[in-house]
Amino acid sequence: MKVSCLQENLNKGLSIVGRAASPRSTLPILSHVLLETDRGRLRLSATNLEIGVNCWIGARVEEEGAIAIPARTLIDLVSAFPPDQVDMEAVVRTMTLNLHCGRSEANIKGMDAVEFPPVPVPEGEGGITLNPDLLRTAIAQVAFAAATDEARPILTGVLVRFEGSKMTMAAADGYRLSVRTAVLPDPVYEPFSVIVPARALQELGRISGDEKEAITATVTPDHNRILFELTDIVLASQLIPGNFPDYEQIIPKDLGIHVVVNTSDLSKACRTAQIFAREGSNIIQLHVHPGTELEPGRLVVSATSAETGDDVSALDASIEGEPVDIAFNVRYLIDVLSIIETPQVVLDVASASRPGVFRPLGNNEFIYVVMPMHLGR
Amino acid sequence: MTINVLPPDVASQIAAGEVVERPSSAVKELVENAIDADARDIRVEVRRGGKTFLSVADDGCGIPAADVELAFERHATSKLSTAGDLDHILTLGFRGEALSSIASVSRVTMVTRAAAEETGVLLRLEGGAVVHRQPSGRAPGTTVTVEDLFFNVPARREFLRTDLTERRHVDNWITRYAIAYPGLRFALLHDDRETFRSPGTGHLHDVLVAVYGHEVGETLLEVFPEGGQERPILVSGFVAPPSFHRSNRQDVTLFVNGRWVQDSRLTYAVIQAYHTFLPVGRYPLAVVMVNLPPEEVDVNVHPAKVEVRFRDADAVFRAVQRAARQALVAKAPIPSAGGAATAARMAWQERHGRPFSHPPLPEPHTQAQQLQPELGMGERRGSLPPLRVVGQIGATYVVAEGPDGLYLIDQHAAHERVLYEQMMDRQEGLASQQVLEPQAVEVPPHAAARVMEGMAALNGLGFDVEPFGGTTFLVRALPAILGRAEPAEALLEVAETLGEARSRVDEALEEAIVRSICKRAAVKAGQVLTREEMEELVRGLERCVSPRTCPHGRPTMIRLSVDQLAREFGRQ
Repeated sequence: MKVSCLQENLNKGLSIVGRAASPRSTLPILSHVLLETDRGRLRLSATNLEIGVNCWIGARVEEEGAIAIPARTLIDLVSAFPPDQVDMEAVVRTMTLNLHCGRSEANIKGMDAVEFPPVPVPEGEGGITLNPDLLRTAIAQVAFAAATDEARPILTGVLVRFEGSKMTMAAADGYRLSVRTAVLPDPVYEPFSVIVPARALQELGRISGDEKEAITATVTPDHNRILFELTDIVLASQLIPGNFPDYEQIIPKDLGIHVVVNTSDLSKACRTAQIFAREGSNIIQLHVHPGTELEPGRLVVSATSAETGDDVSALDASIEGEPVDIAFNVRYLIDVLSIIETPQVVLDVASASRPGVFRPLGNNEFIYVVMPMHLGR
Repeated sequence: MTINVLPPDVASQIAAGEVVERPSSAVKELVENAIDADARDIRVEVRRGGKTFLSVADDGCGIPAADVELAFERHATSKLSTAGDLDHILTLGFRGEALSSIASVSRVTMVTRAAAEETGVLLRLEGGAVVHRQPSGRAPGTTVTVEDLFFNVPARREFLRTDLTERRHVDNWITRYAIAYPGLRFALLHDDRETFRSPGTGHLHDVLVAVYGHEVGETLLEVFPEGGQERPILVSGFVAPPSFHRSNRQDVTLFVNGRWVQDSRLTYAVIQAYHTFLPVGRYPLAVVMVNLPPEEVDVNVHPAKVEVRFRDADAVFRAVQRAARQALVAKAPIPSAGGAATAARMAWQERHGRPFSHPPLPEPHTQAQQLQPELGMGERRGSLPPLRVVGQIGATYVVAEGPDGLYLIDQHAAHERVLYEQMMDRQEGLASQQVLEPQAVEVPPHAAARVMEGMAALNGLGFDVEPFGGTTFLVRALPAILGRAEPAEALLEVAETLGEARSRVDEALEEAIVRSICKRAAVKAGQVLTREEMEELVRGLERCVSPRTCPHGRPTMIRLSVDQLAREFGRQ
């Protein structure tokens, strides 16, 4: 293999695929990036077997070929190169990649490309068209709610459901649930759902940051993987087999107390309370005081630590219903308040032992259910 | 079948069986007589473990020549005259059985002279019958020599163990009396070689150094007498720091009013005091003295007098446990690195019995390994000095610097301890986090019954669990301390703990649950910690009452003292 490309392009390409490489894997090849000539371009691939990313960059190919190079070394080296042309030549006999850039010359020992697990690319036409901005927002609003430990693998994934012209994403970790719906540019004919690892969606959100064109999602015929096709990039992810819990029945319908409050005020109050709550179990209290004819309603946020002290923030709020005190994990509230984009947020509660439901005011596309905490009996 | 009244010699041989089981019981009875005779010096000689020869010589008050024969009659004693005296026994012997029992199963020679008389008497008995009597010279006091024990009871003789075993039994008894009477000088000779000598300084600690050797002796923590509230129960003695432990309970030595006793409940009280300090299956070394008015305790339960009954056993239990715990919490030092060598020595001693003949040389640096209390943050708060976090090694241990050396802290064990004390210390119940969907969890059958019994305790600790038929339980909430734990796993783990627990009182049950919650909630080995997290952990540990062990008794930290570092680098 003998190719030349620009340092900027190579650097950017490596930053896109690099995160998929897994330096601590027991399989050494997985800590490598595959460099392969592909129809007049250079293809970079990395995979940890769950997620794989391909990225094509413009290059002048003098000699076809492929080689796998340790990701960390290559990324560090290329980012240190000057913005100039990079000439690369793979020496098959020694499995070494020779790089030239400006005044620098380097040799990196690599591995045979045939050992590299194939990272799939879409075959043929079809797939669902997604608006990149909408997809990014939906991922940001849902993926954080997925579980991080592997005790229940299903919950480490995000349910993605396509039906008619509607896409729904849902994630839950056993204590809170996040659901987002969005309108698809083109309707699908057959409704279907898949469970995509939250990590894969978060990686997709990251690498689609600059994407302007529509993103195409395709599920492989064997129903094992989902492929997201961007401009010059393909992200492939394993799907999580199994059935996602029926989240719709978890969303309470009949909560009687309705609170509307300024999103950033509540977010600030939660961050203040967190200073004291983190000493204990992150528990904060919300005291809901409905207004009277003379004074507005108030939402009082408080936290107490036996060691450190306590704090109280009183926020003006529009409240319908009875007064109630309810406790939550402050981290779960900060998580949701930082991804609600409307200036006002709606909180529906019923009692201390029933869930709280957060929604952006005037937008029914997002809903967040969080279970309360109890200060011990 | 005719019924015969047993001839006196047969009756006394039967009675002897209760009192004299083996050579060591004869030694015990004779030593008790010596002590009751106000002796200051007691010299015990034993050959072949006492099977062929044993003698106890004292400098006590002696027996008047006229009473010498009487001393060998059954139920003859100088220590008791009316039944009413039984209620406040202060002497060791009182039943008047010992001498007659011993004499009936051996060849006994007694040489005695009462202080007030000019010459003494030598009396020789075989199988209980006097065979010889002559005047004899002797300093005031009594020597009783027992030869050919059980010569006329072959069955009993057959059951004697090896010389070494019998010898160990004798050693144990002499040790016990030396500890109980630090003011008396005991000397013990086995086969004409002195193996033990107590200094007779009156200080218990000096005796313990003689018994356990300098190295163990130096680290022992004193239990200060503390009166009980309701009843005047005084508990004193010494307990070993948690870093010394043994594989069995035999090194918990108990004395009640100066009398060595076997009492599984009090032994348990001492072990309880080490609760969460010792690894599972290991037992402490402790010498505990309980003093209480004679009417509070019945010593006449068993002919060998090794069992006692208390009028208020619970109060005694509490007093012992509290006193021992206080000594431990206030003063237990942190195990020091290089403890492996010490542990090896301990193990050696354990295998080879107590270091009777060769007490190890005093360690010149043991003193330096003790934590200086004034460096601590105050006695009650576990006296851990302020530590500066240096870093983490192997994603498992936190390295910290203190004023007196380098501290290596096991992050999981330390965090467990911090959480455990937080949970046990809390004022109200534990915060709990409700789950999105109640989860049905099936627990193993052996644990299911335990979960049922422990349900109230579980629900008081932040769980919300209810039976769901069979061995299935519905989990609605978990302790918030567990973070984003998986409900099924959390309940199963706690259920396992409950299943393993044997009959437990409520309080212990709750503790067991708390321990398993803490174990699950604590950071694991292999978790990389940020500097802030490490500092938080160390601050938490400094606030703990017992920062040195995890709730399961493993050490949370080891220390390399400044001295040790200097030594290792050859600076000293």
